[in-house]
Amino acid sequence: MSQVIVGQLLNGVIVGTLYGIIALGVTLTFAITGIVNFALGAFMMLGAYGTWYLAAEHGLPYPLAVLVATLGTAVLGLVADRALFRYTRNDLINGLLVSIGLIAVLDNVVLMIFTATPQALDPPLTGSIGFLGVFLPKMKVVVCLLLILTVAGTWLALQRTWMGRAAFSYAQSAEGAKLMGVRTELLQSGVFVYSTALAGLGGGFYASLYSIDPTIGNLYVLKAVEAAILAGIGSIPGALAGGIILGAMESIGALYFPLSFRDAYGLVLLVLILLLRPSGLFAAQR
Amino acid sequence: MTRPRLLTVAAIAVAVMLPLVVKSDLTLTILVFSFLLAMLAVSFNLIFGFTGQLSMFHAAAYGIGAYATHIGMRDLGLAFWPAVGFAMALVTVLSAIIGTICFRFRLKAFYFAVVTLAFAEMARLVAANWHGVTNGTLGLTLTAKPSIGWPGHAIAIDNTLAWYYLSLTALAMTIVVCSRCVHSWMGRCFVAIRLNDALGDALGIDIFRYKLLSFCIANAIAAIAGALYAHFLGYVDPSFLSVDQSLAIVAMVLLGGKGRVAAPVVGAIFLTLLPHLIHFNAEVRAIIYGSILILVILLLPKGIVGTAAEWSRRRHA
Amino acid sequence: MLEVEHLTKRFGGLTAVADVSFAIAQGEIVAVFGPNGSGKTTLLSMIAGVLAPTAGMIRYRGTSLVGLPPNRVVALGIAKTFQNPQLFEELTVVEHLRIAGHLMLKRRLGWRRLLTLFGGATDGERTVDARADRVVALCRLDRARDTIAADLSYGQEKMLGVAMALMCEPELLLLDEPASGLGHGEVTELERVLRDLRDQGTTLCIIDHQVKFLGRLADRAISLQHGAKIADGPPQDVLSRPEVIAAYLGASHAADTAA
Repeated sequence: MSQVIVGQLLNGVIVGTLYGIIALGVTLTFAITGIVNFALGAFMMLGAYGTWYLAAEHGLPYPLAVLVATLGTAVLGLVADRALFRYTRNDLINGLLVSIGLIAVLDNVVLMIFTATPQALDPPLTGSIGFLGVFLPKMKVVVCLLLILTVAGTWLALQRTWMGRAAFSYAQSAEGAKLMGVRTELLQSGVFVYSTALAGLGGGFYASLYSIDPTIGNLYVLKAVEAAILAGIGSIPGALAGGIILGAMESIGALYFPLSFRDAYGLVLLVLILLLRPSGLFAAQR
Repeated sequence: MTRPRLLTVAAIAVAVMLPLVVKSDLTLTILVFSFLLAMLAVSFNLIFGFTGQLSMFHAAAYGIGAYATHIGMRDLGLAFWPAVGFAMALVTVLSAIIGTICFRFRLKAFYFAVVTLAFAEMARLVAANWHGVTNGTLGLTLTAKPSIGWPGHAIAIDNTLAWYYLSLTALAMTIVVCSRCVHSWMGRCFVAIRLNDALGDALGIDIFRYKLLSFCIANAIAAIAGALYAHFLGYVDPSFLSVDQSLAIVAMVLLGGKGRVAAPVVGAIFLTLLPHLIHFNAEVRAIIYGSILILVILLLPKGIVGTAAEWSRRRHA
Repeated sequence: MLEVEHLTKRFGGLTAVADVSFAIAQGEIVAVFGPNGSGKTTLLSMIAGVLAPTAGMIRYRGTSLVGLPPNRVVALGIAKTFQNPQLFEELTVVEHLRIAGHLMLKRRLGWRRLLTLFGGATDGERTVDARADRVVALCRLDRARDTIAADLSYGQEKMLGVAMALMCEPELLLLDEPASGLGHGEVTELERVLRDLRDQGTTLCIIDHQVKFLGRLADRAISLQHGAKIADGPPQDVLSRPEVIAAYLGASHAADTAA
């Protein structure tokens, strides 16, 4: 029994890092551009389809396929930013609605091209690793570690580089940052595009673990928003932690409660957190 | 009579006459759907356009209204209209509970949207999984039809023309009710909350009470719309409560123009007719739908009616 | 009428208001002044219910105000204006006053407000409109009646704040820096409006730095420094005390005047 629990827990952690990578995008976009980009789910789906298309249909090696798909997603992110989202800066409701319109467009374009049939990739890595008495597929472990590294790298970059300090000062005070010579527009676009690239990367990894269809992103982005809010929106390590907590909770909850209510645990937790600790689990209380 | 009111009355008069000219059953059917969705959009405008709260619970109120009406008839042995009353009461109680939670904790803007969305998703999950009562994701077939009148002299609403007039009446009544609310002290409180709630509070307006009131009224009307829509369609399933449905309502209100009582009707009719005017497959339709949403927000922030009103004012000025 | 006892407000480590006690009698014009950061606005906000006191008591006609939200405080008869004018951007002056007539309508009609939804009980709205007309005249806003708030001048915005507070039929009106940012003529006009109000029986409590303006108007002055009350009495007495001058102009200036 305990092995089942450990197994579920570890699986939950791995899924949680996928929530976390998108939650990181959600949190960064919110801190710098003032909107919640629900379309990150659609960008994740694009990353997944890009990876699958390049690797399975054109025989590109998997790592290269992920890389190209991530870059491709980022380019689309740039187009979306220039064409749409630069007009919705700091306007939550409009940003929300534009991102929802964009989801409808992207999901259905992919649906038209690739149909609703689920697609799967041959696992780039096979075999499993024993850990705490349970066996985990190697690929899942590798993906989990790479995602954690990406979040850690982002966090370090924001701590150490000029860009990071600019972003930090902007999040503190938009006016102040402008006075200090931060090129606001560039920073906002940069963060927006980076968050779409993160979503694309998450999608690329997702494609190596699960079968994909054009709607995968929608559930994931909801989970990512939940994770970002759980942690307190704006916190980078918090986004990852929030994702992992959510993933683990869902996996453990599924052992004891009906599977069909799996998606409800996060919602219940989310409502409780918003009511009781509105600035999130990890934020300093004011 | 003010200009918007004159236009609304004229539009209703045209709608009353329309079946004399239009004999196509399909056209009337589409119009019935648009009227009922318009009812939903007009009621949503109360909480979104006037009180300024982006509720994501509206589709849930609509879906719960549809289910509860059927359950009221099947399990409580009620007739159709008392069952609708039961559904309204149930939705009002649920809204009061959810609204109290949200507004007591002063959730605003995005956080209010997320928490109402969470409650709506929970309601959808219950509808999708409570097999004994809702028949799960397969949904329920609804055969009951309403009738109008009194025992012995009832007109059964069993053909499209009868449904056309029933839905038109329901929409007109919704517009009248919302208009009375909005053009009174109640509506002034709603507007005060949207524009500056701290000032409203300082002027003696109980912000909590009026937010809750507008949330409950809007949802209760949505419950009626859901009951009628599902019984006209002949079935109900959990997709009535979906996020997509909520967003479709938001799109109707934005396209018509928020903050004007009858403007969402234009958005609702436009978005309901559109897929039938151009015969495309579902994907292309969704793409067009998404693009319209984006374009309206970026290019027509005041909606069709708001932009038209401004345009005509400028021409006359 | 209003009694404040040992009122204290701390924000984290900072004590904004420290153990302040005073009373306001009916019909008085009381001025509270002090330099920036001396806790004046915090004090007023606590009375109006915007902030909850850390300790102490506020009583109005025997009823405790502690823990009541602003809308309940104003319903009891204490209205407050904002330092930075708070308005409903897209509405006209008259529409502001109709919204502010909420309490009047509630007092006049009670449950009969429900009748107005069916076209009944029109007398309530008429009373509100009549008072709005009187308030517009009193506050010299006649010409701006149908102007949208966003197009008002700063002086008119502040006057509209006073007008809205008056629509609440206050017995005690709290004014948070009503004269700041106004031109000379506008201050004179404001003074006239406030005197008219006092003549009609409204009790006023005003905070401001403009010593001259307050000195002319007030019956009594209270001076705050670092959140504590340092003087209370007739305005001329309070303003000539060395510790008050020191608080305002620095210790050296106080020494100069003393010498």
